Amino acid sequence: MTEHYPNPLLAQTRRQFFSDCGVGVGKIALASLLANQVGGRSSGAQDATLDLPKPHFEPKVKRVIYLFMAGAPSQLDLFDYKPKLAELEGKPIPPEVVKNQRYAFIRPDSTLLGPRYKFAKHGDSGAEISSIMPHLSEIADDIAIVKSMTTDQFNHAPAQLFLNSGSPIPGRPAMGSWVTYGLGSEANDLPGFVVLSTGGGTSGGASNWTNGFLPGRYAGVPFRSQGEPILNVSNPAGLSTEQQRDSLDLIRKLNQNQYQKLNDPQIATRIDAYEMAYRMQARAPELMDLGAETKETLESYGAKPGKASFANNCLLARRLIERGVRFVNVYHKGWDHHSNVEGGLKGQCGQTDRPAAALVKDLKERGLLDDTLVIWGGEFGRTPMVESSASLGRKLGRDHHPQSYAMWLAGGGIKTGQTIGQTDELGFHITEDRVHVHDLQATILHLLGLDHKRLTYTYQGRQFRLTDVHGHLVTKLLS
Amino acid sequence: MIRSTILLFAFASFCVNSSFAEEATELSYARDVRPILSKNCFQCHGPDDKTREADLRLDDAESAYSTDDRDPAIVPGKSTESELIARITSDDEFLKMPPPDSKRTITPEQIEILKRWIDQGAHYEQHWSFIAPQRPGVPFVDHLENPIDGFIRAELKKVGLKSNPSADRYTLVRRVYLDLIGLPPTPQQADAFVNNQSPSAYADLVDELLASPHYGERWARRWLDLARYSDTNGYEKDRPRSMSPYRDWVIDALNAGMPFDQFTVEQIAGDLLPDATQSQKIATGFHRNTMVNEEGGVDPQEYRFHAMVDRVGTTGTTWLGLTIGCAQCHTHKYDPITQTEYYSMMAFLNNANEPTIKVINPQITAQREKIQKQIADYRESLAGRFPPPPEDQHGKYLTPRENQSRYQHQQFRDWLKQQENSYVKWESVTPDKVTSNTPNITILDDKSVLISGDQTKNDIFTVLMMTDAQQITAVRLEALPHESLPFGGPGRATIHAGVEKGGEFFLSEIKFEVRQAGDEEWLPVKPASAKASFARDNRLAEHSIDGKSDTGWSVNPRIAERHQAVYQFAEPIQNKTGQIEFRIRLEHESFHPAGLGRFRFSVTDQTGELQPFDRPLEIEQILRKPAGVRTLTEKRALMQRFLEQTPLLKKEQEHLANLKKQIPEYPTTLVMQERPERFPRTTHRHHRGEYLSPKEELTPTVPAVLHDLPADVTRNRLMFARWLVDRENPLTARVVMNRQWEAFFGRGIVRTTEDFGLQGELPTHPQLLDWLAVEFMESGWRLKRMHKLIVMSETYRQSAAVSEQAAKLDPENRYLSHASRVRLEAELIRDNALAASGLLSRKIGGPSVFPPQPPGITEAAYGRLNWVVSKGEDRYRRGLYTFNKRTAPYAMFSTFDAPSGESCLSRRDPSNTPLQALTMLNSEVLLEAAQQMALRSLRESPQDIRQQILGMFRESLIRPPSEQELNLLTQFYQRQRDLFSEDRLKAHLLTGAGVIKRWDFNDGNEGWSAVNQSSLSHLKNRIVIASTGNDPFLRTSLEAPAGQLTVKFRLHSEEQGPCQLFWTTANSPVESAQHSASIEVKPGWAEYQAVINADESLTGLRFDPVAKPGRTEVDWIEVSVGNNHQTLPADVNVVDWATLTLVARSLLNLDEAITKP
Repeated sequence: MTEHYPNPLLAQTRRQFFSDCGVGVGKIALASLLANQVGGRSSGAQDATLDLPKPHFEPKVKRVIYLFMAGAPSQLDLFDYKPKLAELEGKPIPPEVVKNQRYAFIRPDSTLLGPRYKFAKHGDSGAEISSIMPHLSEIADDIAIVKSMTTDQFNHAPAQLFLNSGSPIPGRPAMGSWVTYGLGSEANDLPGFVVLSTGGGTSGGASNWTNGFLPGRYAGVPFRSQGEPILNVSNPAGLSTEQQRDSLDLIRKLNQNQYQKLNDPQIATRIDAYEMAYRMQARAPELMDLGAETKETLESYGAKPGKASFANNCLLARRLIERGVRFVNVYHKGWDHHSNVEGGLKGQCGQTDRPAAALVKDLKERGLLDDTLVIWGGEFGRTPMVESSASLGRKLGRDHHPQSYAMWLAGGGIKTGQTIGQTDELGFHITEDRVHVHDLQATILHLLGLDHKRLTYTYQGRQFRLTDVHGHLVTKLLS
Repeated sequence: MIRSTILLFAFASFCVNSSFAEEATELSYARDVRPILSKNCFQCHGPDDKTREADLRLDDAESAYSTDDRDPAIVPGKSTESELIARITSDDEFLKMPPPDSKRTITPEQIEILKRWIDQGAHYEQHWSFIAPQRPGVPFVDHLENPIDGFIRAELKKVGLKSNPSADRYTLVRRVYLDLIGLPPTPQQADAFVNNQSPSAYADLVDELLASPHYGERWARRWLDLARYSDTNGYEKDRPRSMSPYRDWVIDALNAGMPFDQFTVEQIAGDLLPDATQSQKIATGFHRNTMVNEEGGVDPQEYRFHAMVDRVGTTGTTWLGLTIGCAQCHTHKYDPITQTEYYSMMAFLNNANEPTIKVINPQITAQREKIQKQIADYRESLAGRFPPPPEDQHGKYLTPRENQSRYQHQQFRDWLKQQENSYVKWESVTPDKVTSNTPNITILDDKSVLISGDQTKNDIFTVLMMTDAQQITAVRLEALPHESLPFGGPGRATIHAGVEKGGEFFLSEIKFEVRQAGDEEWLPVKPASAKASFARDNRLAEHSIDGKSDTGWSVNPRIAERHQAVYQFAEPIQNKTGQIEFRIRLEHESFHPAGLGRFRFSVTDQTGELQPFDRPLEIEQILRKPAGVRTLTEKRALMQRFLEQTPLLKKEQEHLANLKKQIPEYPTTLVMQERPERFPRTTHRHHRGEYLSPKEELTPTVPAVLHDLPADVTRNRLMFARWLVDRENPLTARVVMNRQWEAFFGRGIVRTTEDFGLQGELPTHPQLLDWLAVEFMESGWRLKRMHKLIVMSETYRQSAAVSEQAAKLDPENRYLSHASRVRLEAELIRDNALAASGLLSRKIGGPSVFPPQPPGITEAAYGRLNWVVSKGEDRYRRGLYTFNKRTAPYAMFSTFDAPSGESCLSRRDPSNTPLQALTMLNSEVLLEAAQQMALRSLRESPQDIRQQILGMFRESLIRPPSEQELNLLTQFYQRQRDLFSEDRLKAHLLTGAGVIKRWDFNDGNEGWSAVNQSSLSHLKNRIVIASTGNDPFLRTSLEAPAGQLTVKFRLHSEEQGPCQLFWTTANSPVESAQHSASIEVKPGWAEYQAVINADESLTGLRFDPVAKPGRTEVDWIEVSVGNNHQTLPADVNVVDWATLTLVARSLLNLDEAITKP
């Protein structure tokens, strides 16, 4: 059923077309065309890298798994241990500490709340980690903890967008879009930027993975945990793979007729998009089949095939990057503990601690950690002050806290086994090594071989970048 | 032909200039020089004084020529003496410009241009787009009369290219339909045009399309991209909003051919027009399409500021084609717009309140009046419905009517006494002064205080009032509704979200202080009790005096009603000096703004336990009068109140309440409303564009580089709107015409449709753009007229084939040597598939709809909007009516590059991705269209396969197929038909005709017969099996494909036990245990099902009722496959249908099907 393109000039013309369209456009499509001159049944992940855009300098990592803890986990109960808080629990926070700060819900004169869990030192580095994260504690030397993250935004949607796109207003391209725009994707049968999600919808919704003003192919593609993983990736009921192939062949022949008549390169691009779609259809079921993993692997993550979970998504993230996907965003929502932060963390850590640690271990064992970056963290932190409200039915919670929070990173180029940054004795303000969201973004791009000041896109008369006009490399993080 | 040509080209005067094409020898600053300087120099030597180096501007002649304290950068006429040239040609790393670390380089050719320009005198001139366009002469080429063709061919000649010949008529008819109304012609309409020999056939068709109501829909969608139209608020909560009246306004205005200047003025400032109509108010929704952040913790004023920023930027993009938004944080780096000018422009737009209005329409008014009349009539009739007294109260000699009346009056008197006893004589007090942290205060004649203007999450009002009463025992706070408040008040909460409800208030604390007139000190007095006439659970009046800011009084859900809270003091406050002064502080602390919107205070000297009584003000005022002086009307009002309250008429009152619920609400829409003169909102410059850094206050004005404002008109939005469409405006008409051009030709004359500034691309055909702009303005800003001019041109009508010459010399088709094939916009792709299948609804306007999309799309967003698929024709409405949720847009549209409505978009960049291919191949919408197209074709030409395929080809592509195409399709058809014939089950699945066979028993036994130990009879739509206990069964023949089938049935059994199903096939004609299923049934009616796996196609079915003596009634039996329970139409062969569906699907997937030809 397969055929050669009728006209050897076709590829030539298309190359011409793509080169006219500037950096990055159509590279993937062109590469896959060259790799698949005979109609597209073969799948050549290696060949697809032929013509990818080049990084600005030698990269440390090739791909990113970003574990986004949506809702903002409490750094004070997980990473930033403050004995003073326990000592002063129930006392009002000194007014000079909270002067001029804005809050989402609580009054600035609220009382302090001590850490809800015990902390201990772990690993050779002696990283202080909460007892509620036993699995992470085991890999303390494989991660770098940043206790001095800070952001400009103190509400979920703007803060999530800020972290993902560098702007609190929806509509700018997400980090994963910038990265695939800058580096292309090695996968020719899967999207370059994939989004996985559990625990409910994110506050920014699709704006968190939008391509913004970048071309549509850089949009994050959400994989669904129920039903087909990619929208419309399955054939309609009653249609066999063979018939789908027949249909694609017919469509191609008719499109080729038109192409010969009109010479419009768009038609050639479209022919190729259909071949990629077909490969994606073939790839998706194999990708999603967690049953192909060993029992040990499944157990280490706590993954159960067929049952949507953060654990499954962590494992899936590994399978995605193994297949050449450039950027995987794994969202897990449910960290917004305005009330009962203690119980809330227990639930959330119960779902996320083991899989996140297992992911790092698994990548390490497979030799993938050297050129993969893993990031864990939320959009802001939580207050040292207690949140309680009779009318909202809240007690023993913590409010939004943009001033300081914690994240961890692992993987290639990261100097692991260290904790960066300090906050004051109440965990309110940063006192050492402030890492702004834009700094984190600059550093992530840097690890991928991209200069955040040079990765730009001109839109509406202005050159835009992920870090807006800010961002400094966090050199302490780098090995 | 001549006649129509004259009519068409009777444009305002233009002259034909044959010397037009002469080359200019002199370099132009704007065309040749500024792009070089702008790119390389202006960042440090341009308009922005914050980043300016060496105090040198190269965009300004005075500075560039200046000899103050330095060697002149430019000496006109003398490049060798110009420091600029010295620097850009220097090898010295410290002198060289641009500095090596800037990574900018000026090429030798560019240096040559700069030298030549200086030697020619270094004449600066204004950037082209800031000079108002003049009508240029039209080049006369090839005897063509449409000015567009003159301009286009003149340029083509220069580059050595020729225009294509006209496209064939099928291509042309499809192209002009898609362009003007966004829908394809039917094959019949296409044939009619193709066969129309009249010389005016094309012009007539164009007129017909311009008059079509779908014209407005097609062009509205493009405008809605600019307007960032959406059906939700954005950000985390992203709740639905009602905005479709604005969308419909755009459609109507475009259909009515509203001149663009009026179209502009109404959208920017319709509310400020004299005697503004409802329609003009709706139009101001343009700038209400901004997002609203309703997340719990936000500062609403901060996000209002972000919305203002968006409004300024959107206005810049939409009308001026300028990236004004760049000046939010600093003076524009390239264009002459200062940061101060940015905020001065914001000041025009910043003086409006943002209410939601009802959209009154006569149909709803009529319905409302009808029900209100019913209510009034029913209320009148209540007295007549009063029950008779209990037996022992019957008067002996009275008629039933008299008995009833006496009973009613006796009950009324008891009620009235109770009312009078509970009445407290309140004296309302006019406040002397009310202050607040932010909102605006108005004291109304009825002594109430009305709040308007901006809100915060902790609005505080302080009320000063005095009274000469001898003593005060209590203060009453009335919370009052008002038409100006959201949802009618009494609170100002604007949204329904979480625990809040629109129109609600949350009074967290109320604090009283008193002093005797003449005293200095205020003394706090805490009420001993607080009681409300109504309060919602856990939000009681006493919570407003408990000293806790997170508790308070609230009245949700009784919105738009009057409520009262009574604050009674432990000891009466005595009047010692003739006047008691009160200072009352009302605090509203909530995580959404929820201040009181209208309230009134009153005091009393009455002692004892005072209760607030839940009754209307009108009744209260009557009760205040002594019984003796009440008028008849007042007495009647009391009686009516009694009738509507008495437990004796409970059922009737419920009926009334139900009637009230039936009163239909008017739809609402968001509008702008200029603030009253006494409450102007100030606008500041914001340092670095930050909300929290307001600097000096600014008055409204426009950038100095553009035309002046009129001198003697109030500086408000209306003036600004008129300024935008002033004849002197160099930008608006060009920008608008350029976007129209882009819509027809795939790219603008200025490719950067959103940027006409110094960083934007230069126009490929500047004279044409100016000609179009001037023609547009001088002929009355009529879009339809300009659209006609464009589609009548030869340039528009060319074929799309790309010649080798064109591919080589002009690969982007900037010179338009051929028509550009443009991918249809997302919505139009769906519209076209639905139109081709015959499913498309052509209904115009109304609330947004929910066509099918895979479940879970909207669940990825925070609010987890439940996407309930619309029923009936709303399932198949045009794409622009699809509900757009900003954080989870309709999946198919975002896959095809439609915007999500988060910001203004002046052009869509189509991409080609595999996800698009998957959408076209596999999505429910496209499959449904394919099924329907196939079904239609099958029925139209039941016998002729080639005819069926041809019909579908015409529906989807309009043109007739070539022989080769038809052969390819027929071969495909044959092969697929074979595959489906081998597996009919799949044919059922693909067509969605999941029901293979169904027996309803409406017409007798329908092929079933009793075989063993039983008898069968037919009774009213069912069959009745009477059986002995010894293996009774019945049989029917059945044609069903092999595979997994579901047999469902509904029956009534008298006995409990297993019943059985057996099936037979050609190879096993005798029933066997391998081919059976057993189902446990219970006595009584119930539905049952069994799944059977047939290894080959079925020939018969046997049914065994419970093997006990008795009767079994069967209502229906159904054999089905998959999840779709549509029955296969009787006239259709499922294999034919499935095969044709696949053909249809392939056709809809062709590049040609989703591309403007």
